[in-house]
Amino acid sequence: MAPHQRGLGLAGLAEEEKRGFDLWLLWRLLSYARADWHLFALAGVLILASTGLELAPPYILKIAIDNYLLRPPVAAQAGLVRLAGIYLGITAGVFLTNYWQAYLLQLAGQRVIYRLRQAVFSHLQRLSLSFFDTRPVGQLVTRVANDTQALNQLYTEVLVTLFKDIFLLVGITIAMLSLAPRLALLALVGVPLITLSTALYRHLARKAYRQVRLHLAGVNSFLQEHLSAMRLIQAFGRERANFEQFTRVNQDYYQATMQELTVSAVFRPTMDLINSLVIALLVWYGGGQVIQNLVTFGVLYAMINYTQQFFRPINDMAEKYTIMQAAMAAAEKVLGLLQEKPAVVDAPEVIVRPRWRGEIEFDHVWFAYQPPHWVLRDITFAVRPGETLALVGPTGAGKTSMASLITRFYDVQQGEIRLDGVDIRQMPQGLLRRQIGLVLQDVSLFSGTIAENLILGNPDTSRDRIIRAIEAAQADFVWDLPGGLEARVGERGVNLSLGQRQLLALARALAVDPPVLILDEATASVDSQTEQLIQQALARATAGRTTIVIAHRLSTIQNASRIVVVNHGEIVEQGTHGQLLAVRGLYWRLWQLADQEEKILQSAGKGFGP
Amino acid sequence: MLWRILEILRPYRRTYFQGIALLVAVDLLQLVTPRLLGRIADELQKQHLTRENLLYYALLILGLALTIAAGRYLWRMRLLGVSRRLEYDMRQGLYSHLQKLEPAFYDRHRTGDLMARATNDLDAVRMSTGMGAVMLTDSLVLTASTLALMFVTIDARLTGLALLPFPFMALAALVLGRVIHRRFTLVQEHFGHLTEFAQENLSQIRIVKAFAREEAQIEAFTRVNQDNVQANVSLARVSAVLFPLIQFFAGLSQVITLFYGGNRVVAGTLSLGDFVTFNGFLGLLSWPVMAIGWVINVIQRGTASLERIQAVLTTPPAIMDAPGALHLERLSGEVAFNHVTFSYAPDRRPALEEVSFSLRPGQLVGVVGRTGSGKSTLAALILRLYDPAPGQVFLDGQDVRDLALASIRENVAWVPQEGFLFSTPIRENIAFAGDFGPEDIAAAVRAACLEEDLAGFPDGLDTLVGERGLTLSGGQRQRVTLARALVRNAPLLLLDDCLSAVDTSTEARILANIKTLRSGRTTIFITHRVAAVEDADYVLVLEGGRLLEAGTPAELDRRRGLYYHLRQQQLLEEEKLALGGLKAGPRPARTRPVEE
Repeated sequence: MAPHQRGLGLAGLAEEEKRGFDLWLLWRLLSYARADWHLFALAGVLILASTGLELAPPYILKIAIDNYLLRPPVAAQAGLVRLAGIYLGITAGVFLTNYWQAYLLQLAGQRVIYRLRQAVFSHLQRLSLSFFDTRPVGQLVTRVANDTQALNQLYTEVLVTLFKDIFLLVGITIAMLSLAPRLALLALVGVPLITLSTALYRHLARKAYRQVRLHLAGVNSFLQEHLSAMRLIQAFGRERANFEQFTRVNQDYYQATMQELTVSAVFRPTMDLINSLVIALLVWYGGGQVIQNLVTFGVLYAMINYTQQFFRPINDMAEKYTIMQAAMAAAEKVLGLLQEKPAVVDAPEVIVRPRWRGEIEFDHVWFAYQPPHWVLRDITFAVRPGETLALVGPTGAGKTSMASLITRFYDVQQGEIRLDGVDIRQMPQGLLRRQIGLVLQDVSLFSGTIAENLILGNPDTSRDRIIRAIEAAQADFVWDLPGGLEARVGERGVNLSLGQRQLLALARALAVDPPVLILDEATASVDSQTEQLIQQALARATAGRTTIVIAHRLSTIQNASRIVVVNHGEIVEQGTHGQLLAVRGLYWRLWQLADQEEKILQSAGKGFGP
Repeated sequence: MLWRILEILRPYRRTYFQGIALLVAVDLLQLVTPRLLGRIADELQKQHLTRENLLYYALLILGLALTIAAGRYLWRMRLLGVSRRLEYDMRQGLYSHLQKLEPAFYDRHRTGDLMARATNDLDAVRMSTGMGAVMLTDSLVLTASTLALMFVTIDARLTGLALLPFPFMALAALVLGRVIHRRFTLVQEHFGHLTEFAQENLSQIRIVKAFAREEAQIEAFTRVNQDNVQANVSLARVSAVLFPLIQFFAGLSQVITLFYGGNRVVAGTLSLGDFVTFNGFLGLLSWPVMAIGWVINVIQRGTASLERIQAVLTTPPAIMDAPGALHLERLSGEVAFNHVTFSYAPDRRPALEEVSFSLRPGQLVGVVGRTGSGKSTLAALILRLYDPAPGQVFLDGQDVRDLALASIRENVAWVPQEGFLFSTPIRENIAFAGDFGPEDIAAAVRAACLEEDLAGFPDGLDTLVGERGLTLSGGQRQRVTLARALVRNAPLLLLDDCLSAVDTSTEARILANIKTLRSGRTTIFITHRVAAVEDADYVLVLEGGRLLEAGTPAELDRRRGLYYHLRQQQLLEEEKLALGGLKAGPRPARTRPVEE
């Protein structure tokens, strides 16, 4: 089973049912194949050639039998040598055309998925964060990797076999008709029988297959749900009752598969039976014609061989039908993704300047992830270049959302955010983000070397600059790692402590040398020594830059130029530490709370032990 | 490796042998038609062919075809049917065993991995016992019998010469097969890189965007993508050869037959009929040779999958009834811990350390402590979802390890933290523990303050929840799980921080309901909110896995220890929340749904 099929929910299944052979989809897909049209064309020519050549052997045998074997003439041996030579040539020709055809198709198919993957991935890079907020990463990975793979099958297997099979059928029919029209017409008696039984099979198989998929989805969702809730089942002692439920689900699936088996167990032998029926007719009627010398035995023999060849492509086509259905489903998902529009786009005319000072203004900003559930209401403040501003407030107050708006991950609904007096919507997104160094709470590094992580794939970063960034972030531990800058991090690399990761994240931001720095201050517990190190590094890093700190520990922001206190999406107080304490408002209370917490932690640390 | 597969087939051997016998019979009957065509050619050459004979042959071919068709239908139903049955039975066995395995097993294994064993791996085993076995028998029988007929009934020299390309065919299949396998492994590796790259990029898209590195990432992806294409193309270069090459060797056999056999016919040492028959046999031979590679592949995959399934089946359950376990109909609700220490993994710090206490039946007991202090572990040990090491947990004075699991779990009703519901109607979720009458369910619904919510649902109690049904709010889910436990009227009720998403006034109402409803029976109420246990008879205070304080709320208040401090802190916290005035709207669901 293809990987993308496993997770298919019941809803997805119902959706897939509606889809048959969608011409529009196919057309869209072909657009990715257009650049390789010459490869496909060449493969097509080769397919025609190989099919033509494959039709020859029965005819050669016919000549051998009629001309040389049945009533051997004098020159029989020389004739046989010539025929064997031709046969050898054809065999070699079939080999070459088939090989090149298969290879070229694979090559072209691979180039198509390459292009399609490139398109999907690039498109994903351009979509805005709001798109990623609501979609599981695993699903998107499936689009990039597996669904495109399924499409490859459509190109290299289904469409090609279809093409080849149709051509083969036409070729055989023509060959038979030109050899012996009456026998050919007799053989074609089989065609309505085949058409009828194939149509019947298709209908039944589709129904049976749908049942199988439906009940398989049932088994899957039952397992998914109950395996992850096993402790609950055990705690409630419901093992027996649940096993009964599972038995029903499993039984339904078993019965559906048996139904499918019965359908195919009847169909395959029936096709062979029709084949044999046609051969029996040919033997009886054709044999009579041979006796009357109306046709030669060689012709009869060739007709029998052609009849046997005739049935292979028909069985083939029935088989490819299911692959096609799955591929079509994948195609729809991939194309659907490609049609998603980014929510945040560059303005048609943008303002570009070489240097930015880093003055940030929020001007009556209103923002909601889902209007009308406002997350920020009428936020107004300004940060002058080089100033440090601290954002303070309880969890969920809107601090992180404010940071996301400055980088324009989302667009505001009302109001304006300005950098150096320019509405950030008038700036190219890339330019804006290069002015802002972002250090997030959860530090995730990419797998690769330290250096690669610090420059994040920007080849223009000089080594000198990397070294300065490490110095500024006080991430000197890098030099002690095996390999230094070239040490690998990530799954198969060195293990870094949380503190070290935070220092690296800081260095990563500083390597860009941005005029603005946004720090989502880490709350995670690092030991006090590391914390001191981080604080020192921060103090150095923020000098000369506009800095916005999202503070979780109040103790670290006393020296900020200004503190903005937010609660429930609104600014409730702003001022310096001293000013805010003096007004005895929310900041003062938070400060007290932090103080209390400190005390409790300390006393708990000393232990009340029994 | 074939042995393991044969071993699991043992219970089905009767049907299986019948199927194999039918398959062999069909294979042998298939050899008759080429023979008949040869006979016709001979009679024609000798001018013996009459219309009567022709009719006889035609009817014979038809009769044979009918028999073969019937045989094919029957072996398909037998052999493939057995493999389906086997799949069904093994899935039953696997699930039944999975139900016996303890939660610790599920901590170690991901659900997706276990699901893969119960579906994909079972598919592979089914394939190897079904179609795999069929193809194996088919190709062996067909090859052997065809070869024998060619040698014995036609001509040994012709057979020998015509079969000269066959060893090369086998060799090519073998050598190319190995190369293909190697390159295929490489392809899978590159596909893995591609998936990993996409996974990493997409889960860190925020950083990518923040650093405006989209173009650089696309460039890096291009390299991974190109490598993947390269690997695939290099595979195609070899795999595209295999089939045409085999076809080529089969063609060579035909050429030899035409040339040498034809000359023998001309020379009069071979009849035309034998020539025709021989050609027919050659045609029958080429596909078993091709099938053998496929068969090996399928059987290899089947055995590998069987191993993965048996790895689960041979894992002994760590928690099960001891021999002679005590069955107690009704417990009193007395709970005691004696120097209990427990950790989830040997290398992790203990979740509980040296915890001892005893609770009298009928008490309302509060358990408070911060996140990670070991509160939920305490509940899990009472239920014997895990076994402590060292230390003992007692219910009614009996070590839980001496009690039948059923006795424990029928007497302890548990409301877990997660608020997990099955995607069934609410009624079924509440009646999860057994058959309950409408009055019982209504009482539980009332006690859990669910009545108003139900009235607002489209189908009341019959509303479907979950993916295909109604999405409940966190608080609603918690209250349904509460009703699910309350309906049982068990002597011991364990509430594990299960009202965290319920607003404080409803929480107070629920607690009052529980207090009246459960007077005289033990209720253990685990919470991080100290204020919620003010009415408790007895409170345990946990910190870092240790029992720091225990006593009545009044006693603990006087001690001015952790209980007191936590309470002070939380009072401030609540005050802080109350300060806000306007209430912010909910953010959109930003939780990552279950991965597809």
